[in-house]
Amino acid sequence: MKAADGREPLAVLDRVSFSYDQGRTWALDEVSLTIRRGQQTCIIGANGSGKSTLARLLSGSLAPDRGRIELMGRVVFDSARPPGQRVDTEAYRQAREHIGMVFQSPEDQIVTTVTEDDVAFGPENRGMSRPCMQAAVSQALRYVNLAGRRRSDPTRMSGGQQQRVAIAGALAMHPDMMVMDEPGAMLDSAGRRKIATIMADMAAHGKAVVNITHLLDEARAADRVIVLDRGRIVTVGSPEESLSRLQEELHGDMFDADMPVSHGDAPRSGTPDTWTDASDSGRTGSPGGEEAAVTAKNLSFSFDKKHRNVVDHLDLSLEEGKTLAVLGPNGSGKSTLARLICALVSPKEGDLSVAGITLAGEGAATSRRVAKERLRMLRHRVGYVMQKPEHQLFAETVAQDVAYGPRNLGFDKEDVTRRVNRALSMLGLGDLSDRSPFDLSGGQQRLVAIAGVLASSPRILVLDEVTASLDARAAQTIVTMLEGLHQQGVTVILITHDEEEVCRLADQAILMDRGHLVSRGGVDEVLRDYRGLQTQGAPMESEETTVPADSALSATGGENQVGRPSLVERLDPRAKMVCFLMLMVTSFCIGTGPQLILGALTTVAIILAARISPLKLLKSVSGLLALMAVVALLNLLVTREGTILARWGPLIVTDQGLRTALVYSCRFGLVLLLGALLLMTTTPTRMTDAFESLLSPLSRLGIHTSEISLVLSLALRFIPTLVGEMQAIREAQAARGGSVESGNLSSRTRAMVSIVVPVFAAALRHADNLGQALDARAYRGGQGRTHYRESHLQGIDYGFMGLVVIYFVLLVVLIVI
Amino acid sequence: MGMLSHTDNHQNQETSGTEPFDAHSTAGGVSGRWSTRRIAMYALFVALTIVLSYVSIPIFPAAPFLKYDPSGIVVLIAGFAFGPMAAAIVGVLGFLPHIFGNPFGALIAIIVALALGLPASLIYKRIHSRKGAVIGILVGAVTGLVAALLCNLVITPIYAHMGFHQVLGMIIPVLLPFNLLKFTIHGIITFLIYKPISNLVKD
Repeated sequence: MKAADGREPLAVLDRVSFSYDQGRTWALDEVSLTIRRGQQTCIIGANGSGKSTLARLLSGSLAPDRGRIELMGRVVFDSARPPGQRVDTEAYRQAREHIGMVFQSPEDQIVTTVTEDDVAFGPENRGMSRPCMQAAVSQALRYVNLAGRRRSDPTRMSGGQQQRVAIAGALAMHPDMMVMDEPGAMLDSAGRRKIATIMADMAAHGKAVVNITHLLDEARAADRVIVLDRGRIVTVGSPEESLSRLQEELHGDMFDADMPVSHGDAPRSGTPDTWTDASDSGRTGSPGGEEAAVTAKNLSFSFDKKHRNVVDHLDLSLEEGKTLAVLGPNGSGKSTLARLICALVSPKEGDLSVAGITLAGEGAATSRRVAKERLRMLRHRVGYVMQKPEHQLFAETVAQDVAYGPRNLGFDKEDVTRRVNRALSMLGLGDLSDRSPFDLSGGQQRLVAIAGVLASSPRILVLDEVTASLDARAAQTIVTMLEGLHQQGVTVILITHDEEEVCRLADQAILMDRGHLVSRGGVDEVLRDYRGLQTQGAPMESEETTVPADSALSATGGENQVGRPSLVERLDPRAKMVCFLMLMVTSFCIGTGPQLILGALTTVAIILAARISPLKLLKSVSGLLALMAVVALLNLLVTREGTILARWGPLIVTDQGLRTALVYSCRFGLVLLLGALLLMTTTPTRMTDAFESLLSPLSRLGIHTSEISLVLSLALRFIPTLVGEMQAIREAQAARGGSVESGNLSSRTRAMVSIVVPVFAAALRHADNLGQALDARAYRGGQGRTHYRESHLQGIDYGFMGLVVIYFVLLVVLIVI
Repeated sequence: MGMLSHTDNHQNQETSGTEPFDAHSTAGGVSGRWSTRRIAMYALFVALTIVLSYVSIPIFPAAPFLKYDPSGIVVLIAGFAFGPMAAAIVGVLGFLPHIFGNPFGALIAIIVALALGLPASLIYKRIHSRKGAVIGILVGAVTGLVAALLCNLVITPIYAHMGFHQVLGMIIPVLLPFNLLKFTIHGIITFLIYKPISNLVKD
């Protein structure tokens, strides 16, 4: 292949076609292009244009059906060759060693809970030697400006930082070409700017950079822009040429690949019947529009006492029928404000009333019953569209899913049907009602989920980033729908990053930053402040995500960060885990006072050696103390020997019973403390490493020990992710009136299913992304892997094991005595 | 195995231990190893089991300290969607993190999860239909129930100074109805959701 400019071609596609359905439709249709070293290419297209497929062909993770592909100078696929030889798997394998890949979802690419370990994952899979690996990790982290965070937990970082960790993970494998599939799609503008700088830098350092995106403004920085539409390249050229042609065609029919809705069924901006519902009899406000839809005074919220306020002393007043835009960087508290308004979380302090219902402050419900009744009324009046609402879909058909809200709110069958049809036709989805929501395109799924909220005809509609990562056409449908609702007097609260959307829809706006309301008023002035805040740059991106992990689960993990590691922290995790487990099991053999004292002294000695605050330790086992009480009570009541001390009817308490209760509950307490101590002084990474090492002898029996350990390690890393997903889905379904805690058996079962199915769907979605990320990081099983961390048993470990043995001997001696 | 023959690549993925057969694969067939997709699926199912095992809903007023957790559903679904091997992996790894909280409790949880998930998935693998799912769930629930009662019989004396008859006298009126209720809820939810989720797995 002759180079147009002198630079070396790294990927050459020649009339390549790809089909997901054995040739019935073509995701890519005769695509030809060349990617060169040092060049930054942007591939732009709508959802469904085939751009992600193209990314996977370029990265060597998928082979096409037809055409010829050359990667890193070698032909990896050629359909002209005889069947069976068209894919050259060895050439593919070698080519992939030089290709780095970064995906859309930042968090699904993270494999472990320590940044440097995560970056080292690819080099480990390559079997790099430890000195090489250390140099590669340090260099890659410096490159993405995260050298100072090498010991931080990437699962707790902001999306922008996570994406930089992912880039570092790819860079540590020294690729010649980086293929980035929508790296900025889930980030705010500050996060995107940082990624753009890194991409330009990589190109300047001679790597080929391919950035796949649907965001027009990302294309401006590229050397070359390729526009993809329905599987075909429609434009190739400089950013200026391509973008101007794109702008022209955008007004035509180009970006509708994602929306196979016939034109006859185009969304209507208005509905024939009035939106306001007679059935919402609890409504108190006058229809004139001077009534306040939302009033908040001094409103604050924090996840717990230790964390700063996520919403901090906020005052807000919104008239009925208005559209309010809520602006602010990620982590500024916008979503929390939305959840407060929808009564999904309760404020820490302040007054809040929504749709004429007082939720907090003076006049708030004093009894449980009143609060429950008010909440029911609120669910009628306030609709909540969460971020990525398509993740809440669960039912077998679109119609059943949309009907979930109205059914929960108690409308009769006919009314439910009428509401479902109306909501679907408002969004142009009429002919999809019998389809499975899971068979639809991403854009359609989002519209179905929104219909599921509209079907309850809320007076106030709260939408969180509703057009984010949608293509222009689907976004347009939503904007038209919101204009229609506005005309009918629905109050709309719109959280968004999209300035154009704000200008088109909002009457007024507020700007939030770190929980504070920093600006409010007309759209123009607030937008000006918003831009001002953005150009300040660095502080835009909140450093840590604000949601703390579930407390029961976060016990699995924290290393004592302050100062020199304690003796217990310095123990080899293998020696520590085995010894602790044996200490715990032998605690159950303690039967006498002296033994109990010995066990207690040993435990205290270990606590001291671990330099853990006893209070912190007690707090971490507080959830299990109830279990200890049950053990004590049980022993007290079942023991009938000895002198009777007290008697209530058939229940007797004896002196022996007291003694047994004391010994049994205390020895159980020791078990709990030792377990908690181990978890507090060992990171999950160290534990899974130790698990792998301890398990490895079993690999001789044909058990995939290395893979099993990786499964466990990935599972631990995904716990916070799934907890977050589950909470979001539970809230979204609760906002539609679903409740697992109350109602009759069938509605409780339905509520459970409406949460469990989306949670499974979320798990599968993460699994798909994670599988790709593991491929991109060259994971090929445990064989040939090297380890970034080395562990050897040292003197301190042998010492500890010796002490544990002495302890066991003493326990036995005490029995004999 | 011809890499390019365009046969349906989802057919034998569901229950057998073989790798998904993908016409667009660029990887050489490394036999005996797990695919990255399979590792990722197991990992997420294990994570889900761990998360749900920390949920505790009181369902049995007679013994409020016995709490329902829905993690068993994940073991059943994993077994139905990916086969007995997945049920075993999810059952063992999903409860392993509890080993440092409550070692014997974790051991019981693992044994019960295996007794529930393995028979259910083995039966569903043989009888791959709605009927097979029902039989699988019922048999799994019975073996799970028996395992739960037997384990408690053995392990309760470690926690309380009780004789065999005392334990038996407590288990029958308290643990039997609680576990019956628990496995009924597991079974109903699993039956309602296994089909939609199997469809998602195939995509």
